[in-house]
Amino acid sequence: MGVPAFFRWLSRKYPSIIVHCVEEKSKECNGVRIPVDTSKPNPNEVEFDNLYLDMNGIIHPCTHPEDKPAPKNEDEMMVAIFEYIDRLFNIIRPRRVLYMAIDGVAPRAKMNQQRSRRFRASKEGMELTEEKHRMREEVLQRGGYLPPEEIKERFDSNCITPGTEFMDNLAKCLRYYIADRLTNDPGWRTLSVFLSDASVPGEGEHKIMDFIRRQRAQPNHDPNTHHCLCGADADLIMLGLATHEPNFTIIREEFKPNKPKPCALCGQMGHEIKDCQGVAREKRGEHDEFADTVPVSEQEFIFIRLCVLREYLQRELTMASLPFPFNFERSVDDWVFMCFFVGNDFLPHLPSLEIREGAIDRLVSIYKDVVHRTGGYLTENGFVNLERVELIMQAVGVAEDNIFKKRKEDEENFKRRMKEKKKRLKTEQAPAFLPGGQFAPQALGGRDRPMAVQNARQTAFDMRMQGSRYQQNKNAAESLKAMLRNGSKDGAGCSDGVDRLGVKRKAEDSDSEPEPEDNVRLWEEGWKQRYYKTKFDVDETDDDFRKKVVKSYVEGLCWVLRYYYQGCASWKWYFPFHYAPFASDFKDIKDMFMEFEKGTKPFSPLEQLMGVFPAASGNFLPPTWRALMTDPDSSIIDFYPDDFAIDLNGKKYAWQGVALLPFVDERRLRASLEKVYPDLTSEEVRRNSLGSDVVFVSKSHPLCDFIQELYRSESHEGTQIPPELCHGTQGILYLDQEPILPDEPVESPVPMLRDIPSSRAVGIKFKDPQYEEGHVFKAVILPGAKIPSKVLKPGDWEKSSSGPWRPQLGFNPNRHQVHLDQSAFRALGHHVNSHQQGSGQHAHGPPHAGRHGGGQYSSAPPPSSYHQGNYRPPLRDHPPPFQHSRLQGFQRAPPTPQLQQYLRPQHGAQGWERAIQAQGSAYQQNLQRGRGGPGNYQQHPPPRRDDRGPHEGYSSARNYGLPPPARRYNWS
Amino acid sequence: MAEGSGSDVVSEFLTQNPHLAQWVDSLKDDSEPNKQWYARREFVLRNMEVFPTIQPGRQTPSLDRLISLSKVWSNHVFLGCRYPQPVMDKVKEMAEGITVNEAPVRKTRDEILGKGKRPSTSGIGSESLAKKSKTGHNDTDSKAGERNTTHPIAVTIKSGPSAGAPAEHQPFFNRLYKAVAWKLVPAGGFGPNLDHFEILRACVESCKASLTCVFVPLKDIPDLPAGCAQKEGQVCELRCHTVYMGTGYGRDECAARAMASKEALKIFQGRKVTVKVSRRRFRGQDVEDLVLLDDQPRSSILPPALSYPFQANQ
Repeated sequence: MGVPAFFRWLSRKYPSIIVHCVEEKSKECNGVRIPVDTSKPNPNEVEFDNLYLDMNGIIHPCTHPEDKPAPKNEDEMMVAIFEYIDRLFNIIRPRRVLYMAIDGVAPRAKMNQQRSRRFRASKEGMELTEEKHRMREEVLQRGGYLPPEEIKERFDSNCITPGTEFMDNLAKCLRYYIADRLTNDPGWRTLSVFLSDASVPGEGEHKIMDFIRRQRAQPNHDPNTHHCLCGADADLIMLGLATHEPNFTIIREEFKPNKPKPCALCGQMGHEIKDCQGVAREKRGEHDEFADTVPVSEQEFIFIRLCVLREYLQRELTMASLPFPFNFERSVDDWVFMCFFVGNDFLPHLPSLEIREGAIDRLVSIYKDVVHRTGGYLTENGFVNLERVELIMQAVGVAEDNIFKKRKEDEENFKRRMKEKKKRLKTEQAPAFLPGGQFAPQALGGRDRPMAVQNARQTAFDMRMQGSRYQQNKNAAESLKAMLRNGSKDGAGCSDGVDRLGVKRKAEDSDSEPEPEDNVRLWEEGWKQRYYKTKFDVDETDDDFRKKVVKSYVEGLCWVLRYYYQGCASWKWYFPFHYAPFASDFKDIKDMFMEFEKGTKPFSPLEQLMGVFPAASGNFLPPTWRALMTDPDSSIIDFYPDDFAIDLNGKKYAWQGVALLPFVDERRLRASLEKVYPDLTSEEVRRNSLGSDVVFVSKSHPLCDFIQELYRSESHEGTQIPPELCHGTQGILYLDQEPILPDEPVESPVPMLRDIPSSRAVGIKFKDPQYEEGHVFKAVILPGAKIPSKVLKPGDWEKSSSGPWRPQLGFNPNRHQVHLDQSAFRALGHHVNSHQQGSGQHAHGPPHAGRHGGGQYSSAPPPSSYHQGNYRPPLRDHPPPFQHSRLQGFQRAPPTPQLQQYLRPQHGAQGWERAIQAQGSAYQQNLQRGRGGPGNYQQHPPPRRDDRGPHEGYSSARNYGLPPPARRYNWS
Repeated sequence: MAEGSGSDVVSEFLTQNPHLAQWVDSLKDDSEPNKQWYARREFVLRNMEVFPTIQPGRQTPSLDRLISLSKVWSNHVFLGCRYPQPVMDKVKEMAEGITVNEAPVRKTRDEILGKGKRPSTSGIGSESLAKKSKTGHNDTDSKAGERNTTHPIAVTIKSGPSAGAPAEHQPFFNRLYKAVAWKLVPAGGFGPNLDHFEILRACVESCKASLTCVFVPLKDIPDLPAGCAQKEGQVCELRCHTVYMGTGYGRDECAARAMASKEALKIFQGRKVTVKVSRRRFRGQDVEDLVLLDDQPRSSILPPALSYPFQANQ
C-alpha cells in the first residue's frame, strides 16, 4: 500500500495520531560542527527502546532525491544514507536495539508489483535522459546557458534490488558505519545493532516484523518495550497494529504535496525541464552564500502514534450487545484485514472499494452490521474465517451497483464544476489589484511565518499603484492591437490569421482533454459481463474462470493476512491475474482455501533479478544471464517485453494504470538458468547466496565479552544469547567469517571517510529465535503490558467539573508548560519595540529620505514606512521601481548577522560568542521547525538558562508578533 | 474467412492425434482464459514440427523455447506487449494462419505517453488476427500494401526472375505449406476425392494472396511432346506470386484447373517446398522460370510454361 491515499485518509480521520518531531540540530562553532550528544534525554519527551529502519525508505530518497540535485557518485550516496540515519537516530535515540533491514528477496506474491515498478522505472529513466538531451540541444541552440553536463552515469534506481553489486556494496558500507558509530558515538554504547542486509530473504519491514514477533513470543521479552519503526509505507501502520505491542510508534517523513523540484537540466527551481530557458542562475543572498540551499524547508519528520490510533479504533469498533464477548484486540485484527480489501502490495483492490470514496468507513459499518450474524470475528492470529468473510463480501456486493453509479455521478459533477469554474475564470476580469507585499498569499509550511502586519497603508498603496499600472499597460496594449487590426483590415492574410486563431480557441474550449474511453462502463447495466470480458477476456458464461479468479483472490487474502501475522506462508504463491473480482462474486468461498504449500523456498538473489528486471536493466546481471533477456532463441524471452500495455482502468495518468506485464513462469525460469549457472564468477556466486543477519555491539555492552569469548573458542555451533545480557533479546549466534572485532582496524569502503584505526565494536551472525513448525504466534497483548494513558478527550468529559479539556500535544501528558507573566510581556514588548526603532537606521523612510535623490520619489509613499527587519521574500518579489538597491541587499541578508546586530546593545563583550551562538541556533530552529519550539529551552544545558531568557522570548516573539499582554503565552 | 474457425481445425487435429491432446493441455497456464489458451495451443501445435526435438510429455529446452515463443505471441495479441523486432518477426511468421476473433485492443505505455511512432494496431496484430471476424479485409489491405513493395521487383526484371526472387518468395510458400497442411487435417489428408482447387484456393487466400490460372486450349501449345494424341481440351497453369505451381489438362477449364490444383497440392505433400529457378520451354524457347518444387529429387521435365510473368510485354 505504497499509495499516499491511505495515509492521507487516516491522518485526516484520526488527526491526533500525528505528533511532530522535535529535532535537536547540531551546532556549529567556529566552523566546527559539534555533534549532538544522543545519549542525552530525548527532546521529544519520550524514550524509545527499539528503532527499526526499513532501509529501502532511506536508500531511495538518498540515492535519487526528488527535491535536490542527485548525489554525484555512489560514495556520496553512501554518505547521504549515513547522514540520514544519523538524523533519525538523533530524533529517536533508541536505547536498546537498532534494527536495520534492507529488502531482501521478496516472496513471489510481491514479484508482480516489483516487475511493474522496475519496468516502468527503467522506461521513465530512459525517457528523462532523452528529454534532457533534447532540451539541452534546444536551449543551447537558442543561446541559453546550462551548466556543463556532468560526466556521470545515469543512476538506474533499479539497482536497489537484492543481488546487485550496489546492494552488496551498501551492506559493506553499513557495516563500516555501524562500527564507526559504535566506536565514536556515545549514544550508541548501550545499543545492540542488527543489520539484515539484502542477502537475507524477505522484505525489510517483514524482516522487522519477524524479529518483533519472534522476540515477543519468548519469555524474556519486555512487554513494555517502546518500538519505533521508520518508514513511509502505509502498511507499516497495519504491521504495527498487528504486533499488538502497546507502545508502537512509526516515524516517517512528513508528506508535503506539490513540493517544488529543481529542473533536471539546469538545477534551478521554479520551472520544469520542458520550460527550461537556460537563463543564468540568480544569485542567492548578497554574496551567493545560499547557493546550495534549497529554498524549500528541509524534510521534516512526524511520529504516528499507534496507541492513539488504537484509542480511536476502540471508539469506532466497540460494539455493545454482541452475542459474544467483545475483544478489542480481535476487532483490530479484523480492521487490519478489511484494509487489505482496499489495497495492498500483493493483490489488486476490489473495483468497488476506493479509499477516496470512504471504502474503509463503509467496510467498518458493514462489519458492525454483519458481526451480529457472523457470530464471531473474521480473523484469529492471522487465520481467516472464510464463512464470515463471505457475509461481509456479500454485503459489499449488494451495494456495488450503487457504488459504481455514485462514482460516475460524482465524476460527472466534478467535471461539470471544473468546467464552470474555468468558464468563470475566463470571463472574470483581472482583479483591480493583486495582493502583494505582506498581504501576498504564502505557501504553508515554508520558512516564512506570518508576521504582524506592518504599515498596511503603504502596502495598500503599492498594490494600488501596481494594479493601475498593470491596467494602463493592458489598455495600451489593447488599443495598440485594435490599431493594428484596423490598419490591416484589407490584408487578407491577417484576417485569415484571426480566423485561425478563433477556430483554435474554439477547439480548445470544447473539451480540454480527450477522455480515455472506458469500455467497461461500470455504471451501466451489464457491467459485470463487460468487466470480465474486457479485463479478463472471458465470456459471461465462463463461470469456471470467474471462480478461479475468486479462489485466487481468497487465497491471496489468506496469504496476506498470514504474512502480516505469522510470516511468509508460501514463497511461491502469487495472484496470477491483473484485476480483482467483484465483491458480489465471493460466493461459496468457505472451501476455496485449505492450506499453502509447505517448505517453499525463496528465489536466490540473481534469480529474482531475472524475474523482476526488464532487459534494459540487464547490465546488473552476468553477460550470459543477460543474453537470456534479449536472445530471440531464449526460452524465457516472453518475460521481457520492450513495451507493454497500460490499462488506465478509469485513472487519468499512465503511472496510475495497471501495467499488463506477463507473469513469470518459475519452472521455465529455473530451467533456463540451469545452463548459465556455471558462468557465475565466485564473486557472483557469493552475491547469489543467502546471507545472515548480523548483530553488532560496542565494547561497553555486556554482550561484547560473551561474543569475544565465542570467537576465542571458535565454536561453530549456534549459541543462545543469554537474555539477561541484552535487555531480554533472544537469538542464536553464529561466528562470522570476516568479523568486525574490537581493537582492530576497520577499513573504510568510502574514500571520503576515514578508516577506523581501532574499533570498539564486535559483530557476529544472528538468527532469530526458532520455533517448531506450526507454531502460531498469538495476536494478543502480552501479560504485564501497561496500556499507555489515554490521549483523546473522553466522550464524557464535563467541562464544569474538570475545567477545559487540554489536548495533549506530543508524547508527554504532563508536559510542563511555560508561561510568561505580565511583567515578562512588558519586558518583551519593550525589547521588540526598541528593536524596531533601533533598526530604523536602515530605513529609507522620511528620516533618511535626504540621502536619496529626490527624483526617485516622484510617487512618494505615505510617511513612516519601514520595511526594515522584514527580510521576507514577498516584499522583494515585487520591489517598487523606486526601491533602493541597498535595501534589497539588506533584505536578502541572512538572519543571523541581523540578530547579532540587534543584540549588541544588550550584551557586554563577555559571553558574547556564546550568546550569539545560542541565539542563532534557537532562531534557526524556529525557522526550520516552522512552529513554536517546545524544545527550545530544553536543549540547552540548564546553567546557561538565566542569561538567555529574555532573548529567547525576543526571538520567538518576533516570529509571532506581539501577543496581547493579558493572554497566557503558550510556548507550544 | 477461408480458414474458418481455427479451433475447429485444432480439435479435429487433436481427435486424429489423441496422444497429443492430453500433453498439450498440460501446457496451459492455470490462469489463462480458454480463448487465449486455444489460440496459443494452435500456435504450439502448428509450430511443433519446427522443433523436431520436442517429445510430448518431456520437458526439453526446445519445448521451453516453443512455449516461450507462444507466450510472446499471446502476450502481444492479448496483453498488448511489444518485444524486440527480431522476436516479433519470428513469432509473426510462426503465427501465420491463426485466426483470433475479437482480440482486445490495448494501448502500450509508449502510445499512451504520446510517443506514437507505431501504428495503433500493432504489427502482428493486423497480420494474423481479425479484430472482428468479418472485418478481415482490413488486414488484407495492410498486407497488400506490404506486398506491393515486393511485387514490382519481380515485374521490373523484364527478361526473367531476379536472382533473389526464390529467396524472396520462399517465406510465403513456407506459410502456404503450413496452411495447406492444416487445411488438409479436417479433410482427412491428401486424397483423390477432394475438391483440390477449393482447398488450394482457400489456403492461398488465407495467406492473403491469390491464385493465377491461365487456360490455353491444348491445340495452341507449340511444344507438345510428340507422343501426345489428344487435340481437344484445355490446359491450365497455376501460379501464385508469379511462381509456377502446376499444370493440368481436362476436357473443360474446370477439369483442367482441378487437375492442376491436384498436381500443385502434391508438391505440398513432401517435407517442405522450395522455390527455385528452373529452365523450361515457353513459346518455343528456353526461359528461366520460378517454380515450386518439393524436396524429392525428381528428374521429371517440367511441362512447357503457358504464361511467363517476367517478360517485358507481360
